Amino acid sequence: MSLFKLKTEDFDFKLFVTALLLSLIGVLLIFSAKHASLNEQNLFLRQLFWLFLSLITAGIIFIIPLRFHEIFSYLYYLLALFLLGALFFIGTTRLGATRWFELGGITFQPSEWAKIATIFALARYITYSKRSFYSVLWIGTVIVMGFVPLLLVLRQPDLGTSLVFLAIVLSMLYWAKVPLLFIFLIFSPLISLVAGFHWLPWGIFFFLLIYLLYRLRPVFLFSIGVLVLNLAFGILTPLLWNRLHDYQKLRVLVFLDPNRDPLGAGYQIIQSKVAIGSGGIWGKGFLHGSQTKLAFLPMQHTDFVFSVVGEEFGLIGSLVFLALFFFLIFRGLSIASKSRNSFNSYVAFGLTSIFAFQGIVNLGMSMGLLPVTGIPFPLVSYGGSSLLMSWVSMGLLLAIHYKWTEY
Amino acid sequence: MKGNGFSDYSRGKGALYFLGIIAFILALRLFYLQVIDFSYYRKISEENRIRLVSVPASRGLICDRNHRKMVTNRTSYTLFLLPYEAPDLNELIQRLSIVLNLEEHFLLKKIKTGWINRYTPIRLKRDVDFKTICSLEEQNEEFPGVIYQAEKARNYPQAFWSGHLFGYVGEASQKEIDNSKEKRLRLGSIIGKVGLEKEYDDYLRGEDGMNFLEVSASGKILGPLKDKKPLPSKTGSDLLLTIDYDLQIEAESALSKYNSGALVALDPQNGEVLALVSKPGFDPNQFSSVLDEKTWQALVNDPSHPLLNRAIQGVYPPASTYKLLTAGGALEAKIIDRTTTFSYCNGKFLFGNRIFRCWQPEGHGRLDLIQAIAQSCDVYFYKLALKLGLDRWSYYALECGLDKKFKIDLPDEVFGMIPTRSYYQKKFGPGKWVKNLVINLGIGQGEVLTTPLGVAVFYAALVNGGIVYQPHILKEVRSPEGRVFINKKSVLYHLPFSTTTLEVLKEGLVQAVNSSSGTGVLAQIQDIMVGGKTGTAQNPHGRDHAWFVGFAPANHPKIVVAVLVEKAGHGGTVAAPMAKRIIERYLKGKTTELVKEENRSFQTVRKMDP
Repeated sequence: MSLFKLKTEDFDFKLFVTALLLSLIGVLLIFSAKHASLNEQNLFLRQLFWLFLSLITAGIIFIIPLRFHEIFSYLYYLLALFLLGALFFIGTTRLGATRWFELGGITFQPSEWAKIATIFALARYITYSKRSFYSVLWIGTVIVMGFVPLLLVLRQPDLGTSLVFLAIVLSMLYWAKVPLLFIFLIFSPLISLVAGFHWLPWGIFFFLLIYLLYRLRPVFLFSIGVLVLNLAFGILTPLLWNRLHDYQKLRVLVFLDPNRDPLGAGYQIIQSKVAIGSGGIWGKGFLHGSQTKLAFLPMQHTDFVFSVVGEEFGLIGSLVFLALFFFLIFRGLSIASKSRNSFNSYVAFGLTSIFAFQGIVNLGMSMGLLPVTGIPFPLVSYGGSSLLMSWVSMGLLLAIHYKWTEY
Repeated sequence: MKGNGFSDYSRGKGALYFLGIIAFILALRLFYLQVIDFSYYRKISEENRIRLVSVPASRGLICDRNHRKMVTNRTSYTLFLLPYEAPDLNELIQRLSIVLNLEEHFLLKKIKTGWINRYTPIRLKRDVDFKTICSLEEQNEEFPGVIYQAEKARNYPQAFWSGHLFGYVGEASQKEIDNSKEKRLRLGSIIGKVGLEKEYDDYLRGEDGMNFLEVSASGKILGPLKDKKPLPSKTGSDLLLTIDYDLQIEAESALSKYNSGALVALDPQNGEVLALVSKPGFDPNQFSSVLDEKTWQALVNDPSHPLLNRAIQGVYPPASTYKLLTAGGALEAKIIDRTTTFSYCNGKFLFGNRIFRCWQPEGHGRLDLIQAIAQSCDVYFYKLALKLGLDRWSYYALECGLDKKFKIDLPDEVFGMIPTRSYYQKKFGPGKWVKNLVINLGIGQGEVLTTPLGVAVFYAALVNGGIVYQPHILKEVRSPEGRVFINKKSVLYHLPFSTTTLEVLKEGLVQAVNSSSGTGVLAQIQDIMVGGKTGTAQNPHGRDHAWFVGFAPANHPKIVVAVLVEKAGHGGTVAAPMAKRIIERYLKGKTTELVKEENRSFQTVRKMDP
């Protein structure tokens, strides 16, 4: 295959154009959100510059043979873990969270890289291991591979991004055709963790669990593991929690999420809802969002970028935006299904899942359906690292589509 | 084909359905927000009138060890400014400065530092009297944007000036917000600034709530915002202190005759602080309204330093109170025992070409250790210190922890000073310092320094068998939900003295008060065996500082009192009667008649410490 002669019939123009459209819309939204501000009027230019860099990077990624990534996937993963670990020693702290490396004015967020690296590593492991849903070792390995970066990111602390890793593990198990009830069992301790705060819901949940195990009868070790973990999470959590003082509890919560300021977050959700709702069917028109001008929403160019769509372009614009986003996800899904190479297929599905998860959580947050977690909208939100990594994913998806017949 | 291939689309289809449902939910939500609730949101957005009204939390109460309320809350009114309702800020500030009796630039600074956005109220003045509120309300057309709200103000005891103990509360500064670990502080949060209010702010503060109000274009409140429940405030936890209210008042009045000094009373069996006074003090009630420049500058520039908590931040030469350190070190080092007598004291001691004088010009004659402590003979301790030597002296002082903080639960405790060989080498250069430095250290003069708290803690350990308990003021925390946290006693370390040594030292202390020639006879109490030590610290700036540290009952002490009075003269005359008063009040529950006490001091005026 020639690298430099593009086979137009195998290049996914639909995906490329959709992604480019979303990125350009993002630049416009950032311009609109900040055009009335005093000192951040030029943020959209920075975003445009990053978009340019991102497109070049995506082109390079597109050219690199996918075999290359397959060979180096574990190395990528180890590098990501190393970088996440190194953060604790030489990272830059902002607002109580250590998430960045700073090198001469350029900041780099290793958790963005870790997402992709974890997908590579999991894809490789799942492709080449003897898959057995009943093997505690197999399932354990997949979970540990996902949870090591998850915990490192949680420690930064960055609750939002660590949830992305949970989504990655879930989606990879799903794509590996692990039965849904099994996936449910595997993640049941997390439900215990939440349900454990009150004995009644947890008790009901636990009996349901025992019934499920009785019906499914997975291997003994697996069942015991699930039971023990659920018991531990369900009983220990409230015990430990209740021993804490109120202010200590708050410290734990603030540790998990340094932006946790119930008044601040509540205020932002109201303002976001007012912005979206006041847009109506047709919107107030580009640059005419009043919420924006009055600087009600300080994060309108990053996490709450969708509120600008809702306010200025109304229901029509919002639905078009949603359509573009879901079309992108649909393209990603079809690439994952179509690819004949197992490794590539897993990578495609994993990347698509990240997109879907981040986008949906972000939209739900803007509309007041989900709590504020601080996850940016891929391709659209302001931020160099996020945009660059979104386009690296695009480059990979395009490459996988281009070589879909490759085994 | 490698892997399982993906001709089976079932999983892809499943994902598609899943996403379809989510897309449908999101679209439905958009329809709901942008079509059904459109007019509601459009109205808010056009008028832009969401007002966030903070619901201030009630701070926890502070009670004494017997559950008597010391610090409470009272209703007061706070004035706020809503910037967007004030069209002409300069004019408004002019008018306000007259009504509130505050300077214009001060008000302007307040508005600038408190500015969050045009829609968030800025606190102008707390605890505004009701008259002013009424007159502002009558002419509210003249004061657009000025609103008032009920807020709790702190009510500190009127019976004594408790500024050093409790501190006061005020608005969090930007620096305090940035430095706070928990991110709970916001601009305008009321926090503890000094004293216990600061130390236990986390417990006391509670959590402010928030009301989300919809306001009409004219500023009239239309009611709570439709889809946002108000956040209720959470009351702070109450504190139960180890302080005894009566004893604190007694201590304050005991010191009232003098301009400056400090008093610390401890329970030697657990480190509980029973009373803690520093004079001159200040009344925290005066900060309930606004901390204006004038009052503040007056306090800061006052030459008597009323903001300095002398009990934990004032450093003084420990004087004769540290003779017990020298004696303890010498006993441990087996240089002497309790019966050792040194050569005759004739009022002075010659070393090299320098004369070191005893406080008793005619001399004490031949004394053993017990009598030397009781009569506080300087010459005895000059000689003892010389025998012990600097290294061993500072070894025991450091082992006693006299150069460290005792971690009392008040902010900004200061630690004492114990000079060592390396200290002198740094100060004077290697080998350039003279041996006689230790002679002065032996009687607690020279470079050695301590705080009144330090003396109290040291003596508490001397008389309780050598255990240094962490001094603490907090006894219990009671949360509004009824949970109780008990602040248990904690052992910091042990004195490097054996039980025998401690027995000898204690006997000396008892003799100092109870033998007829002792220096602390003014601390004698009928029916109670009191022990103690006087001290008179040389003060290059004026009269000597008077020390007395006493304890009772001698066989199983329940209270240790350290008294320091600045520039007052002899410890035995000035400080000992005060300690006696506190001890008697605590153990007998009554005050001594003043007349009797004064008669006594005339009779024994001859027997003074250095």
